[in-house]
Order: sequence, then C-alpha cells, then structure tokens
Amino acid sequence: MPVLARLEYWFERLLELIVMLLTSGLAVIVLLAVIYRKAGASFVWYDEVASIMLAWLTYYGAALAALKRAHIGFPGVVEAMPRKWRLAAVIAGEAIIIGFFALLAWVGWEVLLVLEGSYLISLPTVSNQFTQSVIPIGAVLFILAQLLSLPRTLEEARRGLHHEIPPEILDT
Amino acid sequence: MTILFMFLGLVALVLLNVPIAVALGVVAVVAMIATAGPDILPNVALVMFDGSTKFPLLAIPLFILAGAIMNSSGISRRLIAFASALLGFIKGGLSMVTIGASLFFAEISGSAVADVAALGSILIPAMKRRGYPNAFAAAVTSSSATLAVIIPPSIPMILYAVMADSSVVQLFVAGVIPGVLGGFLMMCVAYWFAWRYNFPVEESFHLPRVWATFKDAAWAFLLPVIILGGIFGGVVTATEGAALAVFAALFIGGVIYRELDWPHLREAMMDGGVQTAVVMLLVASSALVGVFLTEQQVPQQLAATIGGLTDNKYVVLALLNVLFLVLGLFLHSAAAIILVVPIVIPLVNAVGIDPVHFGLIVTLNLGIGQQTPPVASVLITACSVAKANIWEVSKYNVYFIAVLLAVLLLVTYVPIVPMALVYFFYG
Repeated sequence: MPVLARLEYWFERLLELIVMLLTSGLAVIVLLAVIYRKAGASFVWYDEVASIMLAWLTYYGAALAALKRAHIGFPGVVEAMPRKWRLAAVIAGEAIIIGFFALLAWVGWEVLLVLEGSYLISLPTVSNQFTQSVIPIGAVLFILAQLLSLPRTLEEARRGLHHEIPPEILDT
Repeated sequence: MTILFMFLGLVALVLLNVPIAVALGVVAVVAMIATAGPDILPNVALVMFDGSTKFPLLAIPLFILAGAIMNSSGISRRLIAFASALLGFIKGGLSMVTIGASLFFAEISGSAVADVAALGSILIPAMKRRGYPNAFAAAVTSSSATLAVIIPPSIPMILYAVMADSSVVQLFVAGVIPGVLGGFLMMCVAYWFAWRYNFPVEESFHLPRVWATFKDAAWAFLLPVIILGGIFGGVVTATEGAALAVFAALFIGGVIYRELDWPHLREAMMDGGVQTAVVMLLVASSALVGVFLTEQQVPQQLAATIGGLTDNKYVVLALLNVLFLVLGLFLHSAAAIILVVPIVIPLVNAVGIDPVHFGLIVTLNLGIGQQTPPVASVLITACSVAKANIWEVSKYNVYFIAVLLAVLLLVTYVPIVPMALVYFFYG
C-alpha cells in the first residue's frame, strides 16, 4: 500500500474510533440521565456535558465526513465544466476550504489562550480550554482530511466522475 | 449592499462546489470583517463552538443511530412480511406493501434516505421479479419514503423546531394526520397503476398469516410505542426518546432477533456520526451568518417589506410555499431549513401563522424537494438501488409527487388537518 493510502487508512480508522466513542457515549449519557432523573437524582452536569460532546462529535465527525467527501455541496456545475476549467474550479474550491479552516484553527487557538483559568459551570474541574480545544484541533483535522483525499478528488475531476448522480442512473 | 455581496458570494461558492457549511462560514467571516474589522475574528471560533452545542439537536445523532441499528437488525424484513400478509391480497399488492411498510418504518426512522435504502433493497428487486416496471418500483419506493420526514420522529422537524424556537413534540403530533393521509392517497395512486398495468395480487388474505407475521414483528412494533408513546405522553423529551430508541433497537436486534453483529453496529455508529456531523457543521456555520444577519436586522426588514405588501397570511403562505419548493429543487432539506427558517420566522410570526403549522408546511415542501431533480437525495438513492434512469422514474413519480402536493395544499390552507391532534393534546 502506498504511503499516502496507508496514512489515509489509519487517519480514517482514528477518526472512526473517536466518532464511535462519542456517538455511543452520548447515547449512554442521555439514557443514564433519564434513569437517574426518574429515580429523583438528576445529573447536574448532563445538559452541559452532552452539549459539549455534541460539539466534539460535530468537528471530529466533520473531519471524517471531509475524508469521505460527504459534506453537502452542489457539484453539478463544476462537473459540467470542460476538463481544464473543472480542475481549476476544484483547486480553487479546495484552497477556499483549507483557507477557511486554517483561519478557524488560528482564531480557535487565540480563544484557547484567552480562556485560560475558566472552567465549566457544572463541572468546575474541567477547563473550558479542554472543551473548546475541539475548534483548533477539529479545524486542523479537517485540513488533513481535505489534503489526504485531494489526490482522489483531483483524479475524479480529471476523469469527470459525477458524485450526485451515478452515471448508470443518468445513462441507462 | 453587504447583504447582496454576501448572497452573491454564497451562490458563487456553492456553484464552485464548496460545501454549503464552509461557504456559509466564508461569506459570514468576510462580511463580519468588512463591517467590524479583523478584531471580530475571535468571535468566529466562539460562535462556531456555541452553534454546535444546541442541546435539542442531540436527538439527531440518536435517531439516526437508532434507525441504522434497526436497518441492520432484520426489522425491515419483518415489517415487509407483515405488510405483505395485510395488504398483499390487493391488486398491485407489492406496491401497497411498499407504501404500508414505509408508513411503519417512518415511525421508527427519521430519515427518508434510510427508509428507501432499507426497504428498497428488498422490495424493488421483488417488484422487478413480479413484472413491475423497474422505474415504477423505484418511484413508489422513493415517494413513499418521504413519509418518513412527515410522520414522527423526523429529523427535519427537529432541525426546524430548533431554528424556529418551536415545540418539536407538537410538530411530531402535527405530522401524524398528513402522513397517514399521504400514505393512503399514495396507495390509491398505486392501485390505479395496478389496474392500468395489470399488476399481480401477491397472496390471498389469511387472518392466521397476518397474526403470525404480526407476532414475528411485534417487537418491532414496540419501538414506535416506546419512542412516540414516551414523547407524546410527556414521559421523556424528544432527545431522551431517541436515546431510548437506540437501546430498544440494540436490545431487539441483538437479544431478541439476534441479527445484529459488530460489523453492522460499527457501520451504524459511523453512519450516525458522519450524518450528524454534516448537519451540525451546517448548523454551526449558519450560526455565524445568523449573528451577522441579526445584527443587520435582515429578518425584521424582510418581515416589514413583505408585511407592507400584504398582511394576508394565505398569500404569505403561498409565497413561502413557492420559495421552499424552489429551494427544495436545489438544496438538501437540512441546508434549506438552516439557511431560510431563521430569516422568514419573524415574517411568519408577524402575519399570525402558527410556527408549528408552518413547520409542517416547510417539512412537506422539502419532502417534495427530495423527489425533484437535480438535488433529490431520496429519488437518487431509489434509482441507485433499482439501477433505473432518473428521468424514467420521474415519469411515474410525478403522480406520487402530485399526491404530496395535494397534501401540502390541504395542510397549508386547511390548518385544522395538521393541527387537530395538536389542539386535542395541547389545547
């Protein structure tokens, strides 16, 4: 297996593991919260922790979705372009996406520095730096996912493959 | 002027195939810097974090996960067997079974794509074997799957409720009558096709067989009782109902039916996580746009402008129906709800439309959008399963889309149809 493909494989496995842990963790926490609430012993930290886990699932899952190129887009116009224009459009689009997440990683890091010394309201031992670290980390992971899947995307753009509607559905 | 540039920039980026979530973030950041300078940038990280921590949206990953587990647990097969015993004696029985099974499946799954993938993989090949035109098989499976977003639980409804600050439980209740009515009308259309093309009867009606298949699927029927009974009865919230559904599905699939294995469960968790992240990233970046538009008072200006032209709520509803139908042609339902609902909701409130009533109208419009190319996620999934041509399928599908449009008109202009149960339960 080429180095890039191996890297992509292990990167995907890592993100899958994180997403699975977060998804199953959320289900367990919500179920336990219902049981404890019915037993008259509600968790004080439930709303805050579950919401933060949802944010983590958003950004770690978004990186995995980027690797799978699963984010909602409108590929029709780019796919209909002549090959040269199509490649240029794909490269421009990739640059915009990477630029946005690079900015998000930077401002996310700046915010972490400001948040030093602040903690969650319901769990005073957990710092806001830890919970909000998902923004810069998630942004960097998103960029990595874009870069690792870029060769595949460029190859598809070069060959003119359709994403939204598989060819057999259009042509049969 | 900034708003116009923002809109044009958004259109340009979307046409460049930049994911809509990223396109929203880019135009919002540019607009924020243009109006408030670069010092505003740290707010981008804070809003993107806060935007993804909306507690009621926690129901989305859990409902997706529950649906994916059920798909892998043999539940679809049992529902189809029961629907076949119940409806297979009617002419064109398999198309009736498809619509009937979709109605049942809609009660445990919030996603039409999940519905069409689960049922279509079994029923489309079965219809082909029995001589149904391939394109018809795909059309009936695709259209009936849209019932999943009207009948509770429904992921678009959860999104709408959060965006419009409305009651998700009341929206779920409002979806029951239009969903069942839509299913019944689709069966009428399927029956008409059955007479026209002489589709076969599947099996004669035998009460013992209906009972046997019901007993086999009884655990599957417990799921909607747990989910909807708990939510409607006020025992649990929508989010908690979704978590209960996950564990009930795990128990039924793993312990009772013994058909759930680790590879399927792993795939279910992955699907749930990725689909959630795709929607939630949209929610987070739309929060950036929302902050900017609210500061510029765009929703209020829109409400005042249209309110100045007409204060007739039925005219406003007609305009909004056209807007959402057109958006449904080009946008996925989640994107359309997240982008447009926060902007139009002040207008909806200003002309006195019940936000729950409007929520169902939006959901129905976007359900129709799932059936209309070029962006038609459910239709494309059905075509992919059937290996059928999208335009051939659409020739049959227009009849079923006409049913959905009729239900939409009824829901829009006879509000008591969706709201009767809401008034009954919640006064």
